[in-house]
Amino acid sequence: MKHKLLPLSETMHYILLALREPLHGYAAMQKIEEMSKGSVILAAGTLYGAIENLNKHGWIECVGDAGRRKIYEITAEGRDILKVEQERLSHILSLYEGSEPNEEV
Amino acid sequence: MKKFNLFFNIEKEEQWLNGQLQKGYRCTNISGWGIYSFEKTDKRYVMRLDYQEHLSKNQFEEYKGIYEDFGWHYIKGGWLGGLRYWQKEEDGQDELFSDRQSKGSYYNRLMGYSLMLGMLCLFFSFMLYKDTGFSELYFKGLWDMEGSLFWKAFLFETPFVLLKLSPAILVVVFSSTYYKAYRKYTMLKEK
Repeated sequence: MKHKLLPLSETMHYILLALREPLHGYAAMQKIEEMSKGSVILAAGTLYGAIENLNKHGWIECVGDAGRRKIYEITAEGRDILKVEQERLSHILSLYEGSEPNEEV
Repeated sequence: MKKFNLFFNIEKEEQWLNGQLQKGYRCTNISGWGIYSFEKTDKRYVMRLDYQEHLSKNQFEEYKGIYEDFGWHYIKGGWLGGLRYWQKEEDGQDELFSDRQSKGSYYNRLMGYSLMLGMLCLFFSFMLYKDTGFSELYFKGLWDMEGSLFWKAFLFETPFVLLKLSPAILVVVFSSTYYKAYRKYTMLKEK
Protein backbone atom coordinates (compact mmCIF):
# COMPACT_ATOMS: atom_id res chain seq x y z
CA MET A 1 0.00 0.00 0.00
CA LYS A 2 1.03 3.55 -0.60
CA HIS A 3 2.58 5.54 2.23
CA LYS A 4 -0.15 7.33 4.16
CA LEU A 5 1.30 10.77 3.36
CA LEU A 6 1.24 10.07 -0.40
CA PRO A 7 0.29 11.69 -2.65
CA LEU A 8 1.65 14.69 -0.80
CA SER A 9 -0.81 17.31 0.35
CA GLU A 10 -0.14 20.87 -0.78
CA THR A 11 1.13 21.72 2.71
CA MET A 12 3.55 18.78 2.92
CA HIS A 13 4.71 19.39 -0.64
CA TYR A 14 5.57 23.01 -0.01
CA ILE A 15 7.31 22.24 3.29
CA LEU A 16 9.53 19.58 1.71
CA LEU A 17 10.38 21.93 -1.16
CA ALA A 18 11.12 24.81 1.18
CA LEU A 19 13.33 22.66 3.41
CA ARG A 20 15.75 21.88 0.60
CA GLU A 21 17.58 24.64 2.42
CA PRO A 22 17.82 24.55 6.25
CA LEU A 23 15.15 26.76 7.86
CA HIS A 24 13.30 27.08 11.14
CA GLY A 25 9.54 26.66 11.18
CA TYR A 26 8.45 30.27 10.87
CA ALA A 27 11.04 30.99 8.15
CA ALA A 28 9.72 27.97 6.22
CA MET A 29 6.22 29.43 6.44
CA GLN A 30 7.46 32.78 5.07
CA LYS A 31 9.39 31.07 2.31
CA ILE A 32 6.29 29.06 1.36
CA GLU A 33 4.19 32.21 1.22
CA GLU A 34 6.72 33.65 -1.22
CA MET A 35 7.11 30.42 -3.25
CA SER A 36 3.36 30.09 -3.65
CA LYS A 37 2.93 33.79 -4.55
CA GLY A 38 0.89 34.33 -1.44
CA SER A 39 -1.60 31.53 -2.07
CA VAL A 40 -0.36 29.19 0.67
CA ILE A 41 -0.12 30.76 4.11
CA LEU A 42 0.33 28.07 6.73
CA ALA A 43 -1.21 28.48 10.17
CA ALA A 44 0.74 27.66 13.32
CA GLY A 45 -0.99 24.38 14.17
CA THR A 46 -0.81 23.13 10.62
CA LEU A 47 2.91 23.91 10.37
CA TYR A 48 3.69 22.37 13.75
CA GLY A 49 1.75 19.18 12.97
CA ALA A 50 3.33 18.85 9.53
CA ILE A 51 6.87 19.31 10.86
CA GLU A 52 6.23 16.70 13.59
CA ASN A 53 4.81 14.31 11.05
CA LEU A 54 7.57 14.73 8.46
CA ASN A 55 10.19 14.46 11.18
CA LYS A 56 8.59 11.28 12.52
CA HIS A 57 8.73 9.69 9.07
CA GLY A 58 12.34 10.71 8.63
CA TRP A 59 11.69 12.93 5.61
CA ILE A 60 13.07 16.00 7.36
CA GLU A 61 15.43 16.25 10.31
CA CYS A 62 16.56 18.76 12.87
CA VAL A 63 20.01 20.01 11.86
CA GLY A 64 20.66 22.52 14.63
CA ASP A 65 19.07 25.48 16.33
CA ALA A 66 19.01 29.23 16.21
CA GLY A 67 18.30 30.37 19.74
CA ARG A 68 15.19 28.50 20.86
CA ARG A 69 14.15 27.70 17.30
CA LYS A 70 14.96 24.34 15.74
CA ILE A 71 16.28 24.29 12.20
CA TYR A 72 15.06 21.59 9.85
CA GLU A 73 16.27 20.27 6.54
CA ILE A 74 15.05 17.62 4.11
CA THR A 75 16.70 14.17 4.35
CA ALA A 76 17.82 11.87 1.52
CA GLU A 77 14.62 9.92 2.02
CA GLY A 78 12.64 13.14 1.75
CA ARG A 79 14.38 13.96 -1.53
CA ASP A 80 13.43 10.50 -2.87
CA ILE A 81 9.81 11.25 -2.01
CA LEU A 82 10.03 14.53 -3.91
CA LYS A 83 11.43 12.62 -6.94
CA VAL A 84 8.51 10.18 -6.87
CA GLU A 85 6.08 13.09 -6.61
CA GLN A 86 7.82 14.97 -9.40
CA GLU A 87 7.41 11.99 -11.73
CA ARG A 88 3.77 11.59 -10.80
CA LEU A 89 3.06 15.27 -11.36
CA SER A 90 4.98 15.53 -14.62
CA HIS A 91 3.00 12.60 -15.92
CA ILE A 92 -0.22 14.36 -15.04
CA LEU A 93 1.11 17.54 -16.65
CA SER A 94 1.97 15.63 -19.80
CA LEU A 95 -1.64 14.50 -19.96
CA TYR A 96 -2.66 18.18 -19.87
CA GLU A 97 -0.45 18.85 -22.86
CA GLY A 98 -2.14 16.05 -24.78
CA SER A 99 1.15 14.34 -25.65
CA GLU A 100 -0.31 11.00 -24.60
CA PRO A 101 -3.78 10.76 -26.11
CA ASN A 102 -6.02 7.78 -25.37
CA GLU A 103 -3.75 5.21 -26.93
CA GLU A 104 -5.72 2.16 -25.95
CA VAL A 105 -9.06 3.34 -27.28
CA MET B 1 -13.21 40.84 35.68
CA LYS B 2 -13.62 37.23 36.66
CA LYS B 3 -16.20 34.88 35.27
CA PHE B 4 -17.13 31.38 36.21
CA ASN B 5 -18.15 28.82 33.66
CA LEU B 6 -17.92 25.08 33.15
CA PHE B 7 -17.66 23.49 29.74
CA PHE B 8 -17.69 19.92 28.56
CA ASN B 9 -17.22 20.87 24.93
CA ILE B 10 -14.08 22.57 23.66
CA GLU B 11 -15.74 24.27 20.71
CA LYS B 12 -18.48 25.75 22.90
CA GLU B 13 -15.82 27.02 25.30
CA GLU B 14 -13.94 28.64 22.43
CA GLN B 15 -17.12 30.34 21.21
CA TRP B 16 -17.93 31.65 24.66
CA LEU B 17 -14.39 32.97 25.17
CA ASN B 18 -14.43 34.79 21.85
CA GLY B 19 -17.82 36.22 22.77
CA GLN B 20 -16.21 37.80 25.85
CA LEU B 21 -13.25 39.06 23.79
CA GLN B 22 -15.59 40.75 21.34
CA LYS B 23 -16.99 42.81 24.18
CA GLY B 24 -13.56 44.44 24.47
CA TYR B 25 -11.73 42.13 26.81
CA ARG B 26 -8.67 39.97 26.69
CA CYS B 27 -8.18 36.85 28.72
CA THR B 28 -5.39 36.97 31.30
CA ASN B 29 -5.78 33.73 33.18
CA ILE B 30 -7.78 30.54 33.34
CA SER B 31 -7.83 28.64 36.58
CA GLY B 32 -8.37 24.94 36.87
CA TRP B 33 -11.80 25.39 38.39
CA GLY B 34 -13.57 27.23 35.62
CA ILE B 35 -12.60 30.76 36.65
CA TYR B 36 -11.71 32.92 33.68
CA SER B 37 -10.03 36.30 34.24
CA PHE B 38 -10.37 39.11 31.73
CA GLU B 39 -9.19 42.67 31.48
CA LYS B 40 -10.44 45.59 29.40
CA THR B 41 -8.53 46.38 26.23
CA ASP B 42 -8.82 48.68 23.21
CA LYS B 43 -7.41 46.05 20.91
CA ARG B 44 -9.28 43.15 19.44
CA TYR B 45 -8.16 39.71 20.47
CA VAL B 46 -9.06 36.24 19.35
CA MET B 47 -8.71 32.93 21.20
CA ARG B 48 -8.27 29.43 19.88
CA LEU B 49 -8.24 26.16 21.78
CA ASP B 50 -5.91 23.42 20.72
CA TYR B 51 -5.65 19.93 22.07
CA GLN B 52 -2.24 18.28 22.27
CA GLU B 53 -1.45 15.62 24.78
CA HIS B 54 1.77 13.91 25.81
CA LEU B 55 4.16 16.67 24.84
CA SER B 56 7.59 16.09 26.31
CA LYS B 57 9.38 19.16 27.62
CA ASN B 58 11.29 19.48 24.36
CA GLN B 59 8.24 18.96 22.23
CA PHE B 60 6.30 21.50 24.24
CA GLU B 61 9.02 24.12 23.78
CA GLU B 62 9.03 23.51 20.04
CA TYR B 63 5.22 23.60 19.94
CA LYS B 64 5.03 26.80 22.00
CA GLY B 65 7.89 28.39 20.06
CA ILE B 66 6.24 27.91 16.69
CA TYR B 67 2.88 29.21 17.89
CA GLU B 68 4.57 32.24 19.46
CA ASP B 69 6.35 33.00 16.20
CA PHE B 70 2.91 33.30 14.64
CA GLY B 71 1.88 35.81 17.31
CA TRP B 72 -0.03 33.44 19.58
CA HIS B 73 0.26 33.95 23.30
CA TYR B 74 -0.03 30.89 25.52
CA ILE B 75 -2.51 31.06 28.38
CA LYS B 76 -2.05 28.38 30.96
CA GLY B 77 -5.14 26.60 31.96
CA GLY B 78 -7.46 23.71 31.69
CA TRP B 79 -8.62 21.40 34.43
CA LEU B 80 -7.11 18.43 32.65
CA GLY B 81 -3.87 18.33 30.70
CA GLY B 82 -3.92 18.48 26.95
CA LEU B 83 -6.14 21.50 26.42
CA ARG B 84 -4.11 24.50 25.23
CA TYR B 85 -5.43 28.03 25.22
CA TRP B 86 -4.00 30.49 22.70
CA GLN B 87 -4.74 34.17 22.30
CA LYS B 88 -3.56 36.74 19.80
CA GLU B 89 -4.41 40.14 18.44
CA GLU B 90 -6.77 39.84 15.50
CA ASP B 91 -4.96 40.33 12.19
CA GLY B 92 -6.74 38.21 9.64
CA GLN B 93 -4.53 35.14 10.27
CA ASP B 94 -6.56 34.00 13.21
CA GLU B 95 -6.89 30.27 12.72
CA LEU B 96 -4.66 27.53 14.08
CA PHE B 97 -5.17 25.30 11.07
CA SER B 98 -4.94 26.21 7.41
CA ASP B 99 -5.68 22.95 5.66
CA ARG B 100 -8.22 20.17 5.71
CA GLN B 101 -5.80 17.46 6.87
CA SER B 102 -4.61 19.29 9.96
CA LYS B 103 -8.14 20.44 10.87
CA GLY B 104 -9.19 16.79 10.50
CA SER B 105 -6.49 15.54 12.83
CA TYR B 106 -7.53 18.25 15.30
CA TYR B 107 -11.02 16.74 15.43
CA ASN B 108 -9.45 13.32 15.62
CA ARG B 109 -7.56 14.42 18.76
CA LEU B 110 -10.78 15.86 20.20
CA MET B 111 -12.41 12.47 19.64
CA GLY B 112 -9.66 10.83 21.66
CA TYR B 113 -10.12 13.41 24.42
CA SER B 114 -13.91 12.90 24.69
CA LEU B 115 -13.45 9.15 24.53
CA MET B 116 -10.96 9.20 27.37
CA LEU B 117 -13.19 11.39 29.58
CA GLY B 118 -16.24 9.32 28.66
CA MET B 119 -14.51 6.07 29.60
CA LEU B 120 -13.35 7.60 32.86
CA CYS B 121 -16.93 8.56 33.76
CA LEU B 122 -18.18 5.17 32.65
CA PHE B 123 -15.70 3.57 35.00
CA PHE B 124 -16.81 5.82 37.89
CA SER B 125 -20.45 5.06 37.13
CA PHE B 126 -19.72 1.38 37.23
CA MET B 127 -17.95 1.64 40.58
CA LEU B 128 -20.74 3.80 41.98
CA TYR B 129 -23.76 1.85 40.82
CA LYS B 130 -22.53 -1.72 40.66
CA ASP B 131 -23.79 -2.67 44.15
CA THR B 132 -26.98 -0.68 44.39
CA GLY B 133 -28.02 -0.05 40.82
CA PHE B 134 -30.26 2.94 40.28
CA SER B 135 -33.02 1.66 42.61
CA GLU B 136 -31.60 3.16 45.79
CA LEU B 137 -30.86 6.64 44.56
CA TYR B 138 -33.49 8.04 46.90
CA PHE B 139 -33.72 7.27 50.59
CA LYS B 140 -35.94 4.17 50.94
CA GLY B 141 -38.35 5.56 53.44
CA LEU B 142 -39.16 8.39 51.07
CA TRP B 143 -41.64 6.32 49.10
CA ASP B 144 -43.74 5.68 52.22
CA MET B 145 -44.16 9.34 53.00
CA GLU B 146 -47.29 11.17 51.99
CA GLY B 147 -48.50 14.54 50.87
CA SER B 148 -46.43 17.65 51.37
CA LEU B 149 -43.89 15.81 53.49
CA PHE B 150 -43.14 13.54 50.55
CA TRP B 151 -42.69 16.47 48.17
CA LYS B 152 -40.46 18.38 50.58
CA ALA B 153 -38.26 15.34 51.12
CA PHE B 154 -38.30 14.57 47.42
CA LEU B 155 -37.20 18.08 46.45
CA PHE B 156 -34.59 18.09 49.20
CA GLU B 157 -33.06 14.85 48.00
CA THR B 158 -33.17 15.50 44.27
CA PRO B 159 -29.97 17.60 44.09
CA PHE B 160 -28.08 14.81 45.86
CA VAL B 161 -29.53 12.26 43.50
CA LEU B 162 -28.41 14.36 40.52
CA LEU B 163 -24.98 14.56 42.08
CA LYS B 164 -24.88 10.81 42.44
CA LEU B 165 -26.05 10.48 38.86
CA SER B 166 -23.50 12.96 37.49
CA PRO B 167 -20.98 10.37 36.26
CA ALA B 168 -23.73 8.70 34.25
CA ILE B 169 -24.92 12.07 32.92
CA LEU B 170 -21.35 12.93 31.94
CA VAL B 171 -21.02 9.67 30.02
CA VAL B 172 -23.91 10.87 27.86
CA VAL B 173 -22.41 14.38 27.54
CA PHE B 174 -19.00 13.09 26.45
CA SER B 175 -20.56 10.58 24.08
CA SER B 176 -22.32 13.44 22.39
CA THR B 177 -19.14 15.57 22.13
CA TYR B 178 -17.36 12.50 20.76
CA TYR B 179 -20.04 12.10 18.14
CA LYS B 180 -19.91 15.79 17.15
CA ALA B 181 -16.14 15.65 16.70
CA TYR B 182 -16.49 12.40 14.79
CA ARG B 183 -19.00 13.99 12.39
CA LYS B 184 -16.66 16.91 11.67
CA TYR B 185 -13.71 14.57 11.32
CA THR B 186 -15.42 12.39 8.71
CA MET B 187 -16.74 15.44 6.84
CA LEU B 188 -13.21 16.76 6.49
CA LYS B 189 -11.84 13.35 5.55
CA GLU B 190 -14.37 12.47 2.88
CA LYS B 191 -13.69 15.18 0.33
